Amino acid sequence: MSTKLNLQQRESVLGWGLIAPSVIIILSLILYPILTNIFSSFFKVSLMEPDTFIGLENYRNIVTDGSFWRAVLVTFVYVTGTTIGTTLVGLGVALVMNRKFPLRGFVRSLILLPYVAPVFSVVYAWKFFFDPVNGLFIDITVERLGLFDQRFNLIGNPESALWVAIIFSIWKNFPFTYLMLLSRLQAIDRNLYEAADVDGAGGWQKFRYITMPELYFVMGSIVLLRVIWNFNKFEDIYLLTDNVKVLSVYTYFKAFVGVAELGQGSALVILQFALLVGFILYYVKKVLKW
Amino acid sequence: MKRVFFIVLTAALVGIPLFANGGDEPEKSSGPVTIEFWTTETQSDRQATIQVLVDTFQIMNPDITVNVIPVDENDMATQINAAAAAGTLPALIEAATPNTVAFGSAGLLDRSAATEMIDEIGRDKFYSGVLKLNQTGAGDGFYSLPFHGWVQGIWYRNDWFEKAGLNPPETWEDILKAAKYFYDPAKNQYGILVGTMAEAYSEQCFTQFAMSNNAGLFDKNGNLIFNSPAMKETVEYYAELAKYNPPGPQTWRARDYYLQGKMAMFFYSTYIMDDLALAEVAAGSLTAENFAELAGSSFDPDLVKNTRMVPIISNKRPAGYGTIVSLAFPDTGDSAKTAAARKFVRYLYSPNAYITFLHMAPGGMNPVLKEIATNPRFQQDPKKIFENYGPEKMAEIINGLDSIETFGIVDGKRIDAASVIYSKQIIPQMIYKVTQEGMSVDEAMSWAEAEMKKIM
Repeated sequence: MSTKLNLQQRESVLGWGLIAPSVIIILSLILYPILTNIFSSFFKVSLMEPDTFIGLENYRNIVTDGSFWRAVLVTFVYVTGTTIGTTLVGLGVALVMNRKFPLRGFVRSLILLPYVAPVFSVVYAWKFFFDPVNGLFIDITVERLGLFDQRFNLIGNPESALWVAIIFSIWKNFPFTYLMLLSRLQAIDRNLYEAADVDGAGGWQKFRYITMPELYFVMGSIVLLRVIWNFNKFEDIYLLTDNVKVLSVYTYFKAFVGVAELGQGSALVILQFALLVGFILYYVKKVLKW
Repeated sequence: MKRVFFIVLTAALVGIPLFANGGDEPEKSSGPVTIEFWTTETQSDRQATIQVLVDTFQIMNPDITVNVIPVDENDMATQINAAAAAGTLPALIEAATPNTVAFGSAGLLDRSAATEMIDEIGRDKFYSGVLKLNQTGAGDGFYSLPFHGWVQGIWYRNDWFEKAGLNPPETWEDILKAAKYFYDPAKNQYGILVGTMAEAYSEQCFTQFAMSNNAGLFDKNGNLIFNSPAMKETVEYYAELAKYNPPGPQTWRARDYYLQGKMAMFFYSTYIMDDLALAEVAAGSLTAENFAELAGSSFDPDLVKNTRMVPIISNKRPAGYGTIVSLAFPDTGDSAKTAAARKFVRYLYSPNAYITFLHMAPGGMNPVLKEIATNPRFQQDPKKIFENYGPEKMAEIINGLDSIETFGIVDGKRIDAASVIYSKQIIPQMIYKVTQEGMSVDEAMSWAEAEMKKIM
């Protein structure tokens, strides 16, 4: 066997050498944690003592706990509400912004503001705005307009907190949808609309038979991304409301608050991951038709 | 300078192993020693003051170098556990007593050093209640030395109370009566602030009521007695009181409403004295002066004069609440370091150093040595807190340190499970369920009891 490498072999050695750093980083920072996570979900994890193998006990504890299913339901409502909301608002705004009007450029960039502003600062702006004692919202609706007969804590109350979190997410994230859809709208061939005009098609028909089919796959991808992002969303919800227990917030409390139950936390993450992967597979096949 | 440092460091490196071999004479620190002092006073101005104290100490003890390392309160446990595992424990730490006791019961502290140090200063010099919080489970010594502490109480508008002819909020009956009287949401004015969010502040408010009603979590043998008529009565009372809170779940941040003149009473630690006295703090808060749109009242410069504090609440018996911060010697296994740390601690308790330390946060940091409380130098603090509140009130607050009670100590015995229940926030969650989600008291208490049993 010769030790000399031919050109092709040298090429492949170089190739491996070049991607090795990324592969090592991905393996150590993504794959390794995922595998340890799966591993520790079968253990009672202790920080001071060795872990004990308990089989499926962590999973059994989770699925028999009513608060877990409540968290699943809350997550479902949150993800559905925010995805539909951001898509519809984003679509509407994109359609409007696709028309010509004075100062359009300025308005277009202004709309991006909620999306680019740091989440920490906008969350506190919202909290201040809805504060029951000093907030502007209550001052306007209760004191000035008399729409409600007493002051209330919109963000704090458990019944309204979830809806505030959904509206916050729509407000914060619709600009992304708008931006993607607008760029697709601008790429639609004008001839299609002109041909439709010749055929005597109305506004709705043009939207239904030209705009929508052109937007379908972009919209499908955005919806998928939004579901993935919001399914795992933590910081917006936790900072804003702290009593809306979606799965990620629920897992955080289980795993890290007080006595750390890291084994159960791992199992929860695995379940959350499984739910998400299941959805993605279904969605990619049915909606994106890959 | 560099050279001196190098010599000291070299000497320290050479000297420590020599000393460790030497063995039997721990108190006679012959060679130069470098020790680490972990403190939870992480704010930069406090760091500067501590560094001045350390520099002075080092001039007097040229063979000892003290490295001050700030550690966030919430990271202390993790850091100590990591250092213990790595064999790099510091020689001295300053941390909240529940933490030092937890480290002590895990075997990480040099108990005999702490006990000897307390005896050296004199057990009778300390407030006895404060000392008890540092005691070992068996009662045969101390895990740590109490250093300073804050007291919780109800802060209230004395001018409003006087005008209304109400008693100061010292008993359950008087507190509820005043809360009802001043609750006027139509005028954006609220009766009281008690914690109703699922976090530590709620438990701190609640504990004082529970203690004053003889309602504990455990009996002295460590049996869970949470679901008792006395506890139920406390939860019901607390839920009733919470009706006179500002709307929705609330936590300590709502103290701003008091500073704006929109609230009659609120629970807070003595750290608020600073905020109340310094007009800028309140003026910078949200008022109609700053925001013309808001229908609020402007900042009241007489607020300090009109504010009083009740540290002890009574129902079946009087009860106080607060937190002590203690000094502890982690078990480094190096007697030279422990000896150096003891020397430093002896210095920290000397009147001048001690008073300088406490003056970092007058009102918030209160002395645990009786003679310091009455020391005229201590009473002339740079922020004029004593002048504002008067020596009598301050004495009352400091005495409040002595009657601090927690669920974790029953008849002088420490129950470890109580700290687990505390850190899992079971009681705050129960309070949230009752006051915000409308769950019945019985149902919420059964839930809490089941949760407590799960982790025991």
